[in-house]
Amino acid sequence: MAEIQTPSSTVEAEKIGLLGRFWRGRIWYGTEWYITTLGGLILIAMILMTIFAPWLAPFDPNAFIGAQFTPPGWGKQTLLARSGEAPDISLDNLAGVMIGVQRNRNGANLAKELHAQGKRYQTQEDLLAALLDGEVDLIFVDQKLTEEILAHYEGLEIVAEGLGRNYPLGTDNLGRDIVSRLIWGARTVLGVALTSALFSSVIGITLGLISGFVSGVLDRVLSLVMDSIYSFPGLLLAIAMVVMLGPGLINVAIAVSVIYVPTFFRVVRGQVFSIKEELYVEAARSLGAKPLTILTRYIFPNVIPSVVVVFSLNVADAILTEAGLSFVGLGLPPDVPDWGYDLSKGQSFLVAGQWWPITFPGIMITLVAAGFSLLGEGLSEILNPRLVKG
Amino acid sequence: MSPALRRYILVRVLLTIPMVLILVSLVFLVLRVLPGDPALAILREGASEEQLASFRAALGLDKPLHVQYVEFIKGVLRFDFGSSMTRKIPVTQEIKTFFPATVELALASMFVTGVVGVFSGAFAAQHRKSAADYTIRILSILLYSLPIFWLGLMLQMTLGKGAGWFPVSNRLSPGMTPDKIITGMYTVDALLTGNWPLFKDAAWHLILPSITLGLVLAGIFTRLTRANMLDILEQDFITAGRARGLRERTLVYRHGLRNAFIPIVTLLGLQFALLLAGAILTETTFSWPGMGRLVVDRIYDRDFTTVQGAILFFALLVAGISLFVDILYGFLDPRIRY
Repeated sequence: MAEIQTPSSTVEAEKIGLLGRFWRGRIWYGTEWYITTLGGLILIAMILMTIFAPWLAPFDPNAFIGAQFTPPGWGKQTLLARSGEAPDISLDNLAGVMIGVQRNRNGANLAKELHAQGKRYQTQEDLLAALLDGEVDLIFVDQKLTEEILAHYEGLEIVAEGLGRNYPLGTDNLGRDIVSRLIWGARTVLGVALTSALFSSVIGITLGLISGFVSGVLDRVLSLVMDSIYSFPGLLLAIAMVVMLGPGLINVAIAVSVIYVPTFFRVVRGQVFSIKEELYVEAARSLGAKPLTILTRYIFPNVIPSVVVVFSLNVADAILTEAGLSFVGLGLPPDVPDWGYDLSKGQSFLVAGQWWPITFPGIMITLVAAGFSLLGEGLSEILNPRLVKG
Repeated sequence: MSPALRRYILVRVLLTIPMVLILVSLVFLVLRVLPGDPALAILREGASEEQLASFRAALGLDKPLHVQYVEFIKGVLRFDFGSSMTRKIPVTQEIKTFFPATVELALASMFVTGVVGVFSGAFAAQHRKSAADYTIRILSILLYSLPIFWLGLMLQMTLGKGAGWFPVSNRLSPGMTPDKIITGMYTVDALLTGNWPLFKDAAWHLILPSITLGLVLAGIFTRLTRANMLDILEQDFITAGRARGLRERTLVYRHGLRNAFIPIVTLLGLQFALLLAGAILTETTFSWPGMGRLVVDRIYDRDFTTVQGAILFFALLVAGISLFVDILYGFLDPRIRY
């Protein structure tokens, strides 16, 4: 791996500051450093996105702001109405129209109704039919398709053309902006995954410390219970728990956290077993340190490096489990922007060729999960150098 | 069979008893004891008090918990999971219909995982610290970061719908039916009855789901194989072989891989829970009528007994598989004894 550093270069490293030392790390750790840094950078980007979601997202993730299934791109849109019935709009109130498209003639907010019914206008055809039936007064269509549509449907007229569009990744089946949903979805996904990993680490570490330290019957029973949970397909356990607890952020986090308690338990317990035989623990004991002091002051700090690695890898897995739960329809309530939910909703439109509602959330899930995995993998070799092969 | 091996197997079988008990209790804990009323969870809000009461009475949910627990365990011991609330047939009958599809998918995926994972892992180990090694490592991390269902959807979009090469749902084309159900795995049944067109159709439908599930698991497997191979390739017999002038390829793929095989088989067994969890999502994506689909569909149908039965079946299956793998391990590796 790295060439052997002389003491003088270590001293020099002390002087170059935190960032400089971090940069030096690439010489020490080689590829592991690059893997860790790549994972870290992805995660920093995600975390920034999570924090600044309200400012970054161009639209409300739940608002029906555009035409259904606007394909990705920076193209222009045309506003269509029934011939002779076009509402009076000027460029000033165009922004109002953007939201107002979904209002019907009586002024009732159709957007709300749409939401309650889930999917209503799933295709452009349905939307055009709704316009012709008088359910809606205005619709947006892709400018490229305008001529084709006007040729097919009679009784339509163009209200405005060449309207700018701000949906670089398109809109979904309800006309929601996909970029905004992706940005807000990061909040949900990271929130659930980190919360559940936190729950499971607290429980897993505590039980692991006790089990490894006390050993004996308690240790055997706990190990058997943990091994049993570990051998059970995690997703199925989470599904059963969510069915019973009902959907919701906290319930999903609890259901997911149960799956990962055994991994923390196993790693911590194993570590405690070897650490408690170390000479310095023996020394502390012979000096009269209480068991609790030994556990918290001598053993626990040495477990932390492995816990960090397991935590990172488990968060990666928790993200996938949460997405899986949402995908089978057992995740979060529909008004929470969530990548897994978008994927499951977008699935049925793949047949019609609408690829963008499912492609982008999937890329995001992969990216975040890969970020945590890369970080965990890299850190495991950096923090536990004794495990490095060769 | 040596006395040591016999003792090992006996201990392992005895250990399975508490494991099954714990798993079954876990299912009981989740489905009966957790806050949340199964009756309400299944019938949803708006069910009348009489409906809820008759539901509880039908399932024995109105009895005290300890009585429920004893009945629950008794049912499992008799392999009686009650009867389906929507189909009015025994749950075991349902499982019998759906389980073979999962086995077929799992076996095909394991094949993909094995081939892709073992070879890329061995290759990475052989060319340690080369560009190929790093590429394979990063790719394998990316592979197991993929949401399984999303990979499935992407494959459906490109190779299925887009190119039109593969069917994207179900186990057989419309109009095709197996002449005779022997194992329930259509590909195997077709081979047994010598029905060539049926085999082709069934295998054709199996390709995309098994690639989906197999590839995601291959990511993990590559990593495990690589780590194991690195251990093996450092051992003296490899150095000795190298000194004798054996070709590097022979050393890695014949001598090395053969010795790495035992830990790899065990790891494959340990990944079984992961395989089943992945199968649930793959089945949902590809409308593959297996156990995962059974659970998910029946949750929507509010069929509590079937859901409970299927989850219990998974618990027993997991205990059985882990017993099997451990015994296999005992046979393969004479060092493993109690």
